[in-house]
Amino acid sequence: MSRYYYYLILINMVANIIASVPAILLHSHKDGAVSAMILAIFVGTFLVTVYTRFFNAFPGRTLPELLQKTTAPWFYRPFVFFLAVMWFIAGVITLITFVFLLIRYLTPEMSINLISLTLILSVIFGCLMKTERVFYTVEIILLITIPLILFIFFKAYNNDHLEWDYVKDAALYVNKWPNIDAFSACFFLFLGVANLTIFNRFFTEKQKFGWKQIFIIAVIAMATLFTTYFIPIGFNGLENIGELVYPWISTSDSLRMEYFIIERVLFVFLLFYLGIAFLSILIHWHASMEFLKFVFNLEKIKYKGKKFGKFIPVPFFIGISLILVQLLNEYRLFLYTHYFYNALIVIFPSMCFLFLFIKRRMKYAEQANQK
Amino acid sequence: MLNKQIKNRLGFLLLLPLFILLSGCEFKDIDKDVFVAMIAIDQSDEADKPYKITLKLYEPSSSFKDAPQPTYSYLTQAGETLSEAIRLMEAYSDKELQFGHTKLIVIGEDLVQADKSKEILDFLLRRPDIQMIAWIAVGRPSAEKIIKMVPQGETSAYPELFNYFDHTGTESQYIVTTYLFNFRRDMKAWGIDPVLPIIRINEKDSHFEIDKSLIVRDSMEPHEFDPLNTSLYTMLTKGTDRADLAINEDDEYFIARIDRLKTKHSVTIKGGNKIELDIKIKLYGYISESKKNLDSKDLPFYNKLLKAESEEKFTKFFTDMKELGFDPLGFGLDYRSRTLHNRRMSKEEWEEAYRNAKINLSVTPQLKSTGSIQ
Repeated sequence: MSRYYYYLILINMVANIIASVPAILLHSHKDGAVSAMILAIFVGTFLVTVYTRFFNAFPGRTLPELLQKTTAPWFYRPFVFFLAVMWFIAGVITLITFVFLLIRYLTPEMSINLISLTLILSVIFGCLMKTERVFYTVEIILLITIPLILFIFFKAYNNDHLEWDYVKDAALYVNKWPNIDAFSACFFLFLGVANLTIFNRFFTEKQKFGWKQIFIIAVIAMATLFTTYFIPIGFNGLENIGELVYPWISTSDSLRMEYFIIERVLFVFLLFYLGIAFLSILIHWHASMEFLKFVFNLEKIKYKGKKFGKFIPVPFFIGISLILVQLLNEYRLFLYTHYFYNALIVIFPSMCFLFLFIKRRMKYAEQANQK
Repeated sequence: MLNKQIKNRLGFLLLLPLFILLSGCEFKDIDKDVFVAMIAIDQSDEADKPYKITLKLYEPSSSFKDAPQPTYSYLTQAGETLSEAIRLMEAYSDKELQFGHTKLIVIGEDLVQADKSKEILDFLLRRPDIQMIAWIAVGRPSAEKIIKMVPQGETSAYPELFNYFDHTGTESQYIVTTYLFNFRRDMKAWGIDPVLPIIRINEKDSHFEIDKSLIVRDSMEPHEFDPLNTSLYTMLTKGTDRADLAINEDDEYFIARIDRLKTKHSVTIKGGNKIELDIKIKLYGYISESKKNLDSKDLPFYNKLLKAESEEKFTKFFTDMKELGFDPLGFGLDYRSRTLHNRRMSKEEWEEAYRNAKINLSVTPQLKSTGSIQ
């Protein structure tokens, strides 16, 4: 597979650490989080395989294009709009979580609107770029941040104060039935592949996707899930882990690098994750914008010979995010995120049936073309 | 051509109003902030205001040459809650109090004795600006006295008290280092009890003495470790890798200098609610002081003495802990990490079993040399 494909998957996995995923997982530490994680690895890897195989069969085609060819307008227009909304929500969740983090830990005196506006404007600028440029941005930022984030993880694993007895204790809760909330949170990690619905435009050549690639993805997923769940437990204990609002922030605050430029790892960690969060929002909102462009034919809207259609969603994006940042508090953000993740475990697997349908229709279309 | 130039100028003019946005950041200037070096939390004498907080603040100075001596200012306030005291103090200070650089939290001994650790912890953890890697210690006789003392020879940049704990300065077997996150974790779990260092002041020489420690547990009277037990504790928990052990047996008197330690502890479950505690300790080192001449040939003999002496000391330590019901090493945690949660004894059963446990302790001495002389 092209390395850009892995970026899509990797970002969704790594970005979850600052989102609500660890909080949801650790919330059910005594009722089936561990078994849910194991189950999610199997189901998630399977879903990744199905999605990748499907889009691999149609190199360079996006999902809206395929839908246009195979289904009726009354179906695909609302459906693609629905996808646009969903991708927007995914981005907005990361955005709001990160704005809350910044205001709590980094800049408590700044106004919340200013923080969100700074983030939104930089992301919006990126969203309007062409798909391949989005990929290049992703690559550059990942190259800078990932080694440093891996270094922080290494420091965490290597820390004397990481108590493995707590980790073992937590792992022993494996004999509980999987918890549905925990499962949906883990499942979200694998949904980076769903970005192919738009980003498949970039992969114009048929890619190789065999057992080796599946294996790599499964291993990355396992490592991320293990780190996400067990490292906070090793640092913060098992009993009251559920009371931490941002488990990973508390964990990175428990790390100390006495010979580093900044002793308190928390700030370094937040800064690098700002990069990752930016990428995550960028990818989601770019996909959302592209969906909207398709639904409303925004490319064709002209004023005095100038195309300005693609700018139409921008004020909506900014407006809705700013309103939501004001409206939500930590608890409700957590609750709605929770509902959103739970909805995703129904929506994405059922999209596989749609794929089957499209595949059959495309086959007939090709046969008809040959005749 | 001309048209383009005009367009560019117009664009530039349009951009100009954007400079209004550059009104500076919304941060407070650094000279409007005052950084808190240490927090001391004590019990106050007033009944309706049980907490007394003292803050040690760094006094800003323009350069090192202007202030070769460290200068601090202090704020003290009692309050019904910790936040109330802090809020009142904010009114006494002309600058914004910044807790982000607080590296040490000292709790007064009477407050720890009064079993108030939970309330204090809640406050410290809830504030996002207090570091989880701050050290936490017990102050004797009071926390306020500890943080108000400036020892001789302190440099202005870095309070001396930090050096004791950060493992870049002194490394002593008597100094227990406990981080805030460590304290929280072990305080809230069952099966392991946190140990806090006790900071005392030597009034005459005006320097600190940190060689004792306190083991605390929720709703139990804390137990104090004397210097010997403190050093045994740090040796067992890898808090130190250098330690001295005095051996005084069979007319021999020498000091074993340990420079490498390996310890392992685990619980063996023997059917029913019977358990055994297994502790294996390996001591590597050399002899650093002796009252008699030593002979390199006799190293096996010295090793035997070291084994007997250290086994006696460690066994005493564990027997005491067992009888008091404290679990500094985390045997309970070890037990939890090896039995499925639905087949575990309850907390009460475990405590009963722990009190009756048999101790299997073995020390493997590895004295390699008699030092530079025989």
